[in-house]
Amino acid sequence: MTCPYLEYRRGDEHASFDRERAYCTATASFVQPMRADVCNDRYDLDHERHCEIYRAHAEVE
Amino acid sequence: MGYDDYLAEEPMVVTAALTGGVHGKEANPNLPETPAEIGRAAAEAEAAGASVVHLHARRPNGERSFETARFQEIDDAVRRHTDDVIIQHSTGGTSAPDDVRHQPLRTDPPPEMASLDMGPLNRYDRLTSENTRALVDSLHAEMVDRGIKPELEVFNDGHLNEVHGLLDRRDLADPVYATLIFGPGTLTPPTPANFLNAIANLPDGALFNTLGFGRHQLPFAAMGVLFGGHVRVGLEDNVYYERGELAESNARLVERVVRVADELGRPVASTAEARTVLGLE
Repeated sequence: MTCPYLEYRRGDEHASFDRERAYCTATASFVQPMRADVCNDRYDLDHERHCEIYRAHAEVE
Repeated sequence: MGYDDYLAEEPMVVTAALTGGVHGKEANPNLPETPAEIGRAAAEAEAAGASVVHLHARRPNGERSFETARFQEIDDAVRRHTDDVIIQHSTGGTSAPDDVRHQPLRTDPPPEMASLDMGPLNRYDRLTSENTRALVDSLHAEMVDRGIKPELEVFNDGHLNEVHGLLDRRDLADPVYATLIFGPGTLTPPTPANFLNAIANLPDGALFNTLGFGRHQLPFAAMGVLFGGHVRVGLEDNVYYERGELAESNARLVERVVRVADELGRPVASTAEARTVLGLE
Protein backbone atom coordinates (compact mmCIF):
# COMPACT_ATOMS: atom_id res chain seq x y z
CA MET A 1 0.00 0.00 0.00
CA THR A 2 1.41 3.38 -0.91
CA CYS A 3 1.36 6.33 1.44
CA PRO A 4 -2.12 7.82 1.84
CA TYR A 5 -0.60 11.30 1.56
CA LEU A 6 0.86 10.52 -1.90
CA GLU A 7 -0.72 11.94 -5.02
CA TYR A 8 0.58 12.40 -8.54
CA ARG A 9 0.10 15.89 -9.92
CA ARG A 10 1.36 17.98 -12.82
CA GLY A 11 1.52 21.15 -10.83
CA ASP A 12 0.50 23.30 -7.90
CA GLU A 13 0.46 27.04 -7.28
CA HIS A 14 4.27 27.13 -7.35
CA ALA A 15 5.31 24.86 -10.23
CA SER A 16 4.10 22.92 -13.23
CA PHE A 17 5.61 19.90 -14.97
CA ASP A 18 5.20 18.00 -18.22
CA ARG A 19 4.39 14.79 -16.37
CA GLU A 20 2.67 13.95 -13.14
CA ARG A 21 5.08 13.86 -10.22
CA ALA A 22 4.91 12.59 -6.69
CA TYR A 23 3.24 15.12 -4.39
CA CYS A 24 2.93 14.93 -0.63
CA THR A 25 -0.43 16.24 0.56
CA ALA A 26 0.86 16.29 4.14
CA THR A 27 3.50 18.91 3.33
CA ALA A 28 1.73 20.36 0.29
CA SER A 29 4.88 20.02 -1.80
CA PHE A 30 6.37 17.90 -4.53
CA VAL A 31 8.43 15.01 -3.28
CA GLN A 32 12.12 14.42 -3.98
CA PRO A 33 12.47 11.45 -6.34
CA MET A 34 14.46 9.47 -3.78
CA ARG A 35 11.78 9.97 -1.15
CA ALA A 36 9.15 8.84 -3.68
CA ASP A 37 10.57 5.33 -3.29
CA VAL A 38 9.42 5.49 0.33
CA CYS A 39 6.02 6.95 -0.59
CA ASN A 40 5.52 4.04 -3.00
CA ASP A 41 6.84 1.38 -0.58
CA ARG A 42 9.35 0.23 -3.19
CA TYR A 43 11.91 -2.47 -2.42
CA ASP A 44 11.77 -3.08 1.34
CA LEU A 45 10.72 0.46 2.12
CA ASP A 46 7.61 1.18 4.14
CA HIS A 47 6.26 4.69 4.55
CA GLU A 48 4.93 3.86 8.02
CA ARG A 49 8.42 2.95 9.22
CA HIS A 50 10.70 5.02 7.02
CA CYS A 51 8.98 8.37 6.45
CA GLU A 52 9.24 10.85 9.28
CA ILE A 53 6.70 13.08 7.54
CA TYR A 54 4.05 10.34 7.46
CA ARG A 55 4.78 9.42 11.06
CA ALA A 56 4.50 13.00 12.28
CA HIS A 57 1.20 13.57 10.50
CA ALA A 58 -0.23 10.19 11.42
CA GLU A 59 0.45 10.95 15.06
CA VAL A 60 -1.22 14.33 14.75
CA GLU A 61 -4.41 12.99 13.25
CA MET B 1 48.66 14.55 -5.30
CA GLY B 2 49.12 17.98 -3.87
CA TYR B 3 50.18 21.55 -4.41
CA ASP B 4 53.23 20.35 -6.39
CA ASP B 5 50.86 18.90 -8.99
CA TYR B 6 49.20 22.30 -9.26
CA LEU B 7 52.59 23.97 -9.70
CA ALA B 8 53.50 21.35 -12.29
CA GLU B 9 50.33 22.28 -14.21
CA GLU B 10 49.05 18.73 -14.26
CA PRO B 11 45.82 18.62 -16.28
CA MET B 12 42.64 18.63 -14.23
CA VAL B 13 39.72 16.36 -15.04
CA VAL B 14 36.29 17.99 -14.79
CA THR B 15 33.33 15.73 -14.09
CA ALA B 16 29.78 16.99 -14.61
CA ALA B 17 27.21 15.28 -12.38
CA LEU B 18 24.24 16.04 -14.57
CA THR B 19 21.12 14.68 -12.90
CA GLY B 20 21.59 12.62 -9.73
CA GLY B 21 18.91 10.60 -8.02
CA VAL B 22 17.94 12.49 -4.90
CA HIS B 23 16.29 15.71 -6.09
CA GLY B 24 14.84 16.53 -9.50
CA LYS B 25 12.95 19.21 -11.35
CA GLU B 26 11.03 20.04 -8.17
CA ALA B 27 14.33 21.53 -6.92
CA ASN B 28 15.46 23.10 -10.20
CA PRO B 29 13.38 22.83 -13.38
CA ASN B 30 16.60 23.05 -15.43
CA LEU B 31 17.82 19.72 -14.10
CA PRO B 32 17.81 17.15 -16.93
CA GLU B 33 15.79 13.99 -16.26
CA THR B 34 14.88 12.31 -19.55
CA PRO B 35 17.44 10.59 -21.77
CA ALA B 36 17.10 13.35 -24.38
CA GLU B 37 17.56 16.09 -21.77
CA ILE B 38 20.56 14.30 -20.28
CA GLY B 39 22.08 13.81 -23.73
CA ARG B 40 21.81 17.52 -24.51
CA ALA B 41 23.14 18.46 -21.08
CA ALA B 42 26.11 16.15 -21.60
CA ALA B 43 26.91 17.84 -24.90
CA GLU B 44 26.75 21.30 -23.31
CA ALA B 45 28.91 20.17 -20.39
CA GLU B 46 31.45 18.61 -22.75
CA ALA B 47 31.61 21.81 -24.79
CA ALA B 48 32.17 23.76 -21.56
CA GLY B 49 35.13 21.60 -20.56
CA ALA B 50 33.86 18.48 -18.83
CA SER B 51 35.51 15.24 -19.92
CA VAL B 52 33.47 12.92 -17.66
CA VAL B 53 29.69 12.84 -17.20
CA HIS B 54 28.36 11.15 -14.05
CA LEU B 55 24.96 9.66 -14.80
CA HIS B 56 21.96 8.38 -12.88
CA ALA B 57 18.83 7.03 -14.52
CA ARG B 58 15.27 8.12 -13.90
CA ARG B 59 11.79 6.96 -14.75
CA PRO B 60 9.77 9.21 -17.06
CA ASN B 61 8.29 10.97 -13.99
CA GLY B 62 11.75 11.80 -12.64
CA GLU B 63 11.87 9.06 -10.01
CA ARG B 64 14.93 6.86 -9.70
CA SER B 65 15.57 3.91 -11.97
CA PHE B 66 18.36 1.37 -11.75
CA GLU B 67 17.34 -0.57 -14.85
CA THR B 68 20.00 -1.44 -17.39
CA ALA B 69 17.60 -0.54 -20.19
CA ARG B 70 17.09 2.97 -18.85
CA PHE B 71 20.85 3.51 -18.52
CA GLN B 72 21.19 2.20 -22.07
CA GLU B 73 18.71 4.79 -23.34
CA ILE B 74 20.65 7.52 -21.58
CA ASP B 75 24.03 6.33 -22.84
CA ASP B 76 22.69 6.13 -26.38
CA ALA B 77 21.44 9.70 -26.11
CA VAL B 78 24.71 10.91 -24.61
CA ARG B 79 26.72 9.26 -27.37
CA ARG B 80 24.46 10.77 -30.04
CA HIS B 81 24.91 14.25 -28.65
CA THR B 82 28.57 14.27 -27.56
CA ASP B 83 31.91 13.88 -29.30
CA ASP B 84 33.87 11.60 -26.99
CA VAL B 85 32.88 12.18 -23.39
CA ILE B 86 33.69 9.57 -20.72
CA ILE B 87 30.54 7.98 -19.34
CA GLN B 88 30.44 7.21 -15.62
CA HIS B 89 27.39 5.43 -14.18
CA SER B 90 26.25 5.69 -10.61
CA THR B 91 25.78 2.43 -8.75
CA GLY B 92 24.47 4.22 -5.68
CA GLY B 93 21.00 3.62 -4.34
CA THR B 94 19.34 3.87 -0.97
CA SER B 95 17.44 0.72 -0.01
CA ALA B 96 17.67 -0.84 -3.47
CA PRO B 97 18.56 -4.55 -3.29
CA ASP B 98 22.11 -5.55 -4.13
CA ASP B 99 21.19 -7.21 -7.43
CA VAL B 100 19.48 -4.00 -8.54
CA ARG B 101 22.63 -2.03 -7.73
CA HIS B 102 24.54 -4.09 -10.31
CA GLN B 103 22.22 -3.24 -13.18
CA PRO B 104 23.89 0.07 -14.18
CA LEU B 105 27.06 -1.91 -15.00
CA ARG B 106 25.36 -4.02 -17.67
CA THR B 107 24.90 -1.66 -20.60
CA ASP B 108 26.38 -2.46 -23.99
CA PRO B 109 29.06 -1.20 -24.13
CA PRO B 110 29.65 -0.88 -20.41
CA PRO B 111 30.39 2.57 -19.04
CA GLU B 112 34.09 3.42 -18.91
CA MET B 113 33.69 4.29 -15.24
CA ALA B 114 31.21 3.64 -12.44
CA SER B 115 30.85 4.91 -8.90
CA LEU B 116 31.59 2.67 -5.93
CA ASP B 117 30.20 4.03 -2.65
CA MET B 118 32.66 3.18 0.10
CA GLY B 119 30.26 2.79 3.00
CA PRO B 120 27.06 3.79 4.73
CA LEU B 121 25.44 7.20 4.84
CA ASN B 122 22.19 8.40 6.35
CA ARG B 123 19.31 9.73 4.28
CA TYR B 124 16.47 11.78 5.75
CA ASP B 125 15.66 10.74 9.34
CA ARG B 126 14.99 7.03 8.96
CA LEU B 127 16.97 5.70 5.98
CA THR B 128 20.54 4.57 5.50
CA SER B 129 22.35 3.71 2.29
CA GLU B 130 24.15 0.68 3.65
CA ASN B 131 26.83 -0.02 1.05
CA THR B 132 28.15 -3.09 2.84
CA ARG B 133 31.67 -4.36 2.17
CA ALA B 134 30.09 -7.41 0.55
CA LEU B 135 28.27 -5.19 -1.92
CA VAL B 136 31.36 -3.05 -2.54
CA ASP B 137 33.35 -6.20 -3.32
CA SER B 138 30.70 -7.68 -5.61
CA LEU B 139 30.28 -4.41 -7.52
CA HIS B 140 34.05 -4.11 -7.85
CA ALA B 141 34.32 -7.69 -9.11
CA GLU B 142 31.77 -7.02 -11.83
CA MET B 143 33.51 -3.76 -12.75
CA VAL B 144 36.76 -5.68 -13.19
CA ASP B 145 35.00 -8.29 -15.34
CA ARG B 146 33.51 -5.60 -17.56
CA GLY B 147 36.58 -3.37 -17.74
CA ILE B 148 35.00 -0.52 -15.80
CA LYS B 149 37.15 1.89 -13.81
CA PRO B 150 35.79 2.40 -10.29
CA GLU B 151 35.35 5.89 -8.91
CA LEU B 152 35.58 5.39 -5.14
CA GLU B 153 33.09 7.70 -3.44
CA VAL B 154 34.36 8.77 -0.01
CA PHE B 155 31.47 10.34 1.86
CA ASN B 156 33.36 10.79 5.12
CA ASP B 157 36.69 10.09 6.75
CA GLY B 158 35.66 6.62 7.87
CA HIS B 159 35.35 5.76 4.21
CA LEU B 160 39.05 6.54 3.82
CA ASN B 161 39.65 3.50 6.03
CA GLU B 162 37.33 1.60 3.70
CA VAL B 163 39.45 2.62 0.69
CA HIS B 164 42.53 1.19 2.39
CA GLY B 165 40.54 -1.90 3.33
CA LEU B 166 39.38 -2.39 -0.23
CA LEU B 167 42.99 -2.16 -1.39
CA ASP B 168 43.90 -4.83 1.17
CA ARG B 169 41.11 -7.13 -0.04
CA ARG B 170 41.24 -6.60 -3.77
CA ASP B 171 43.56 -5.54 -6.59
CA LEU B 172 42.63 -2.09 -7.85
CA ALA B 173 44.03 -0.94 -11.15
CA ASP B 174 46.30 2.09 -10.95
CA PRO B 175 45.69 4.87 -10.41
CA VAL B 176 43.20 4.59 -7.57
CA TYR B 177 40.65 7.36 -8.11
CA ALA B 178 38.65 8.60 -5.14
CA THR B 179 36.04 11.34 -4.93
CA LEU B 180 36.23 13.21 -1.63
CA ILE B 181 32.78 14.48 -0.68
CA PHE B 182 32.11 17.38 1.67
CA GLY B 183 28.81 18.67 2.99
CA PRO B 184 26.15 18.21 5.66
CA GLY B 185 24.87 15.13 7.45
CA THR B 186 27.00 12.00 7.11
CA LEU B 187 29.40 13.75 4.76
CA THR B 188 32.78 15.06 5.86
CA PRO B 189 32.22 18.52 7.38
CA PRO B 190 33.22 21.04 4.70
CA THR B 191 36.27 22.74 6.14
CA PRO B 192 39.69 23.33 4.57
CA ALA B 193 41.33 21.41 7.42
CA ASN B 194 39.17 18.37 6.70
CA PHE B 195 39.96 18.66 2.99
CA LEU B 196 43.71 18.61 3.69
CA ASN B 197 43.27 15.77 6.17
CA ALA B 198 41.36 13.67 3.63
CA ILE B 199 44.06 14.18 1.01
CA ALA B 200 46.73 13.21 3.52
CA ASN B 201 44.92 9.96 4.36
CA LEU B 202 44.54 8.72 0.80
CA PRO B 203 46.64 5.76 -0.31
CA ASP B 204 49.98 6.63 -1.87
CA GLY B 205 49.59 7.46 -5.53
CA ALA B 206 45.82 7.85 -5.40
CA LEU B 207 44.18 10.59 -7.42
CA PHE B 208 41.35 12.56 -5.89
CA ASN B 209 38.28 14.27 -7.23
CA THR B 210 36.75 17.10 -5.18
CA LEU B 211 33.03 17.33 -4.52
CA GLY B 212 31.40 19.95 -2.33
CA PHE B 213 27.64 19.88 -1.85
CA GLY B 214 25.47 22.96 -2.26
CA ARG B 215 27.20 26.25 -1.52
CA HIS B 216 30.47 24.36 -0.98
CA GLN B 217 30.68 23.24 -4.62
CA LEU B 218 32.69 26.18 -5.93
CA PRO B 219 35.05 26.78 -2.98
CA PHE B 220 35.90 23.09 -2.72
CA ALA B 221 36.41 22.90 -6.46
CA ALA B 222 38.84 25.81 -6.13
CA MET B 223 40.69 23.90 -3.42
CA GLY B 224 40.78 20.89 -5.71
CA VAL B 225 42.32 23.05 -8.42
CA LEU B 226 45.01 24.35 -6.07
CA PHE B 227 45.90 21.05 -4.45
CA GLY B 228 46.35 19.07 -7.63
CA GLY B 229 43.01 17.32 -7.51
CA HIS B 230 40.26 16.91 -10.04
CA VAL B 231 36.82 18.46 -9.67
CA ARG B 232 33.16 17.53 -9.95
CA VAL B 233 30.38 20.06 -10.39
CA GLY B 234 26.81 19.83 -11.58
CA LEU B 235 23.16 19.99 -10.67
CA GLU B 236 23.24 16.63 -8.88
CA ASP B 237 25.26 18.25 -6.10
CA ASN B 238 24.21 21.89 -6.27
CA VAL B 239 21.15 23.42 -7.92
CA TYR B 240 22.20 27.06 -7.39
CA TYR B 241 24.57 29.28 -9.32
CA GLU B 242 24.77 31.69 -6.43
CA ARG B 243 22.71 32.38 -3.34
CA GLY B 244 19.04 32.55 -4.31
CA GLU B 245 19.68 32.03 -8.03
CA LEU B 246 19.03 28.63 -9.55
CA ALA B 247 21.64 27.48 -12.04
CA GLU B 248 20.46 27.68 -15.63
CA SER B 249 22.27 24.51 -16.62
CA ASN B 250 25.03 22.08 -15.78
CA ALA B 251 27.16 23.79 -18.40
CA ARG B 252 27.07 27.07 -16.49
CA LEU B 253 28.57 25.32 -13.47
CA VAL B 254 31.24 23.68 -15.64
CA GLU B 255 32.08 26.96 -17.37
CA ARG B 256 32.59 28.66 -14.02
CA VAL B 257 35.00 26.09 -12.62
CA VAL B 258 36.92 26.07 -15.91
CA ARG B 259 37.25 29.87 -15.59
CA VAL B 260 38.57 29.44 -12.04
CA ALA B 261 41.13 26.88 -13.23
CA ASP B 262 42.17 29.16 -16.08
CA GLU B 263 42.65 32.10 -13.74
CA LEU B 264 44.75 29.95 -11.43
CA GLY B 265 46.82 28.56 -14.27
CA ARG B 266 45.66 24.95 -14.01
CA PRO B 267 45.05 23.37 -17.41
CA VAL B 268 41.77 21.55 -17.89
CA ALA B 269 42.18 18.06 -19.33
CA SER B 270 40.83 17.23 -22.75
CA THR B 271 38.94 13.96 -22.89
CA ALA B 272 42.00 12.24 -24.34
CA GLU B 273 44.14 13.64 -21.52
CA ALA B 274 41.53 12.59 -18.98
CA ARG B 275 41.69 9.01 -20.23
CA THR B 276 45.46 9.07 -19.75
CA VAL B 277 45.18 10.61 -16.26
CA LEU B 278 42.54 8.09 -15.16
CA GLY B 279 44.22 5.09 -16.72
CA LEU B 280 41.33 4.32 -19.04
CA GLU B 281 43.42 3.56 -22.10
